[in-house]
Amino acid sequence: MADKSNDPVAMWQNMIGEMEKGFNSFANKAMESPEFSKVVNQVGGATAGAQKQLGELMEKYLVSMNLPSRAQMVSMAERLQSIEGQLNEIKALLHQVHSNSAAPGGGYPAAPRPPRTRRPPSAGGEQK
Amino acid sequence: MNASAAALDLADIPERIQSEVQRAIQRSIKGVEYIASSGPALGSTPKDILHVRGTMNLYHYRPIADEIYRVPILIVMATTNRGYILDMVPGQSFIEFLLKRGYDVYMLDWTAPRPEEKSLRMEDYVLDFIPDCVRRVQQDSGETDVTVIGYCFGGVLSLLYGSIFNDGPMKNLICFTTPVDFREMKLFQNFSDRRYFDVDRLVDSVGNVPPEMILSSFDMLRPASRVVGQIQLWENIWNDEFVKSYRMFDRWATDTLPLAGEYFRSITKDLMWDNKLFNGTMSVGGRAADIANIKVPILHAVAEHDHIVPYDAAKHLIQKVGSADKQEVMLKGGHVSLVAGANAIKRLWPKLDSWLCERST
Repeated sequence: MADKSNDPVAMWQNMIGEMEKGFNSFANKAMESPEFSKVVNQVGGATAGAQKQLGELMEKYLVSMNLPSRAQMVSMAERLQSIEGQLNEIKALLHQVHSNSAAPGGGYPAAPRPPRTRRPPSAGGEQK
Repeated sequence: MNASAAALDLADIPERIQSEVQRAIQRSIKGVEYIASSGPALGSTPKDILHVRGTMNLYHYRPIADEIYRVPILIVMATTNRGYILDMVPGQSFIEFLLKRGYDVYMLDWTAPRPEEKSLRMEDYVLDFIPDCVRRVQQDSGETDVTVIGYCFGGVLSLLYGSIFNDGPMKNLICFTTPVDFREMKLFQNFSDRRYFDVDRLVDSVGNVPPEMILSSFDMLRPASRVVGQIQLWENIWNDEFVKSYRMFDRWATDTLPLAGEYFRSITKDLMWDNKLFNGTMSVGGRAADIANIKVPILHAVAEHDHIVPYDAAKHLIQKVGSADKQEVMLKGGHVSLVAGANAIKRLWPKLDSWLCERST
């Protein structure tokens, strides 16, 4: 195999790596300036405002087209999440009831947990 | 270069060309496969959902060992990212490692806050979500003591929790790459410069801070790295292991969560602008949260090449906590490779196990 200094593929990879480092370092220096912060936040602020206005406009358009808006879809998703949450609560309660009754043969929820008696290797010899 | 080395290089040329041609063919085949297939399944260590409340999710991972340590672990994930970074795939899962080493593991993970959760404040996270999960861990495990592990901003939340509830039940605290001095997060400081960044206007207009904004701010820390990553992916697309790893980390890195508006406002004003955690003036819901009040054993793992939380931002944690039993470990790697991937398997995980096992009985 050719040594790395002669290998064009290794040279290419090395060059890419160096370019990455150089560009990141240069960009980080540029981004440390207050001017950068000013420009980015002006643009970001304007974008956030424009997005909000566009969202409101789209909402009106969708209502006029008799289509569900994003807010309505989000609201439906929230109701689904709430139902999911309640199902999880019921599952957790069932889990608890199973654990309390310790019924045998019930799969994981009713299975006994391992004892909490483990000792660190130095205190109890070899680690299990 | 001497004559024999040059001759050897010339002799290698046909072999090298052949290898590159084979790789080029493989790239074309694998490139199509890459586009047509989904990535590996992540976060698949068996677990049960103990509790879900809005953005908050509490999981319990099913124990693997026959005998476990007395003190259960509650992992508090960063609010910007998903918890599966700690449970990638079998053999590369921190959770699986802990289970195999005999720990009982719970995780407080986050999902995207809903629009109406924009009003969640720092106190909801520190005085409600974490204590609620700790209570549920106590109830589920039957143990009073709990070890808390916080990753990145999950570490900040854990510090705030530990400084307010300093009389228990937290028995040990482990933080990964946790910032304390926010002045030293130079680029984030500049992005949120109070002269130009109107956080009130942003939060009032968007509600929850969109994930794209969070992701862009992370990407801007290393603006060339995403493009270079894609070049490296193309070069290595013939290599299944490389592609698998790339897909896992890329999926996680781009799976950023939105942040609840009020919570983001508090992070910006109290931490980024006023640096209250470092100054010891932080309060949450009217309760003083000075990390000097933390007295439990604490381990802080930091990464040598962390571009998100630079060492200067993290180094004060150990100096400032009031614990007598405290240790900082600096390991090779970056913000993510510290906790996940080949480096973490070799370095952080065994270190953490040797520190924690002594304190988990």
